Amino acid sequence: MSEQPMSHEQALDLAALYVLGALAPADEAAVRDHLATCGLAHTEFDELGGIVPALLEDVELVEPPAALRDRIMDAARADLAARGGHPRAAATSPPADGLSEFPSAAERETRRAARTGRLDWAIRIAAVIAIVAVGAWGIGLQRQLDTSQRFDRAVAAVLDAAAKPGAQAVILTPAAGKQGRGLAAVAADGTVTLAMRDLPATGGSQVYTAWVIVGKMPTSLADFTVDSNGIASVTSHPAPTRAGAIIALTLEPNAGNSAPKGEIVSTGVTPGPPPGAAG
Amino acid sequence: MNEGQNGLRGRTASPSDDADRAVLELVTDGQLDALQELYDRYRTMAYSIALRITTDPSQAEDVVQDAFLGVWRNASRYVEGRGSVKTWLLSIVHHRAVDAVRRRRPTSVLPEREDTPPPSLTLPDVWQEVVGNLDRAEIAGAMASLTDVQREAIELAYWGGLTQQEIAARTGAPLGTVKSRVRLGLLALRRTLIGADAGAGDDRGGRGLPAEDGSA
Repeated sequence: MSEQPMSHEQALDLAALYVLGALAPADEAAVRDHLATCGLAHTEFDELGGIVPALLEDVELVEPPAALRDRIMDAARADLAARGGHPRAAATSPPADGLSEFPSAAERETRRAARTGRLDWAIRIAAVIAIVAVGAWGIGLQRQLDTSQRFDRAVAAVLDAAAKPGAQAVILTPAAGKQGRGLAAVAADGTVTLAMRDLPATGGSQVYTAWVIVGKMPTSLADFTVDSNGIASVTSHPAPTRAGAIIALTLEPNAGNSAPKGEIVSTGVTPGPPPGAAG
Repeated sequence: MNEGQNGLRGRTASPSDDADRAVLELVTDGQLDALQELYDRYRTMAYSIALRITTDPSQAEDVVQDAFLGVWRNASRYVEGRGSVKTWLLSIVHHRAVDAVRRRRPTSVLPEREDTPPPSLTLPDVWQEVVGNLDRAEIAGAMASLTDVQREAIELAYWGGLTQQEIAARTGAPLGTVKSRVRLGLLALRRTLIGADAGAGDDRGGRGLPAEDGSA
């Protein structure tokens, strides 16, 4: 889609810089477009590019810190959970740009479509959830595997709920001075599925209460307790909701309140078009 | 040119290539153990490459994490026959590391392409490898055999993450000279490392490129 397509000669002329990744983005895109559409041979690219992997060996070997393995594996585990345990979910998403060296014109169109936002919304949700889930294992955070798996399962439950027709995903962030973050899926009938982490443990008769707030009217969704691992996985009963409704968590002194008595711990706002059961 | 035949092209897959492909197949199936295996095979190379480019240990760690997650999510996009799993993986590391240094360079003259995909979605080109399983010393030796200006241009481009324009600004050489130094340097490496088939360089001499040094 460059204004002026690059000629074959021009592309060949830039081959060496292209295979080294040393072109400015506009030039690189023009060469890529040329390679995708030109029917002539591009042996120069193969000749020069073929030697580039050898350059990778020209480094002084340095061992990475041992903790890096745990970080990567934790992030991959969270990513797997965010895809509902379906490893191929991401693999079947539309490919992005830069995959292969000579994409066909049809492939390029698919990639353009992917870039310009025709991504299936479930994929977008999966991406959001993956970001949240990966964030759950911040750098240097040492968590027990058990805790990780509990949150994995909680996130997977939210993903399943969010993938249903008419459902919406909500990110919950902690209120000022509070802890507790996570995500929720609001089903078409207003049922809310929550996955939370970092919540301080409840004690005595304390409970967390999840609310949906439409206008200024809070409706209680569910009461639940949290132990020292700070993880909550909760599914509420259905409740009236609409676009822009707020999902909030409060820490209540007791269960069964019909209006919040405690302080708000974490909140998020429902996006997009109203779900089926608009109130 | 014998490039179209199977002679010099398409180095034979080694047993370790086959093993890597088997591991990658398991990664495609979502096997976390397989990802860990792949990490353990290539963590040292991956980290070393990221560190050389970023020159910052913590950024290098982020790059390696980012790259392995990219591999985790995109294992099915590895194209067999276009190079080894090792090269594919390490090229992703290289690509992410260059992205990282370009992003942090405050005076970067690079305009953002509006359709630039987010870094997490970009996979680099992988070219058909013409050399494989070479001794590291052999490769270091080949680099040392380049002229100083060729080596400098290739290193600024490949390890410095600089663009042609930035290399020109840094070295004071005209754009065309940068282009020819990089090209002739790569061809010289090819000649040194695979011995025969120097023809590719010679029969292109008439394309109006400046002489190697280009400063005259």
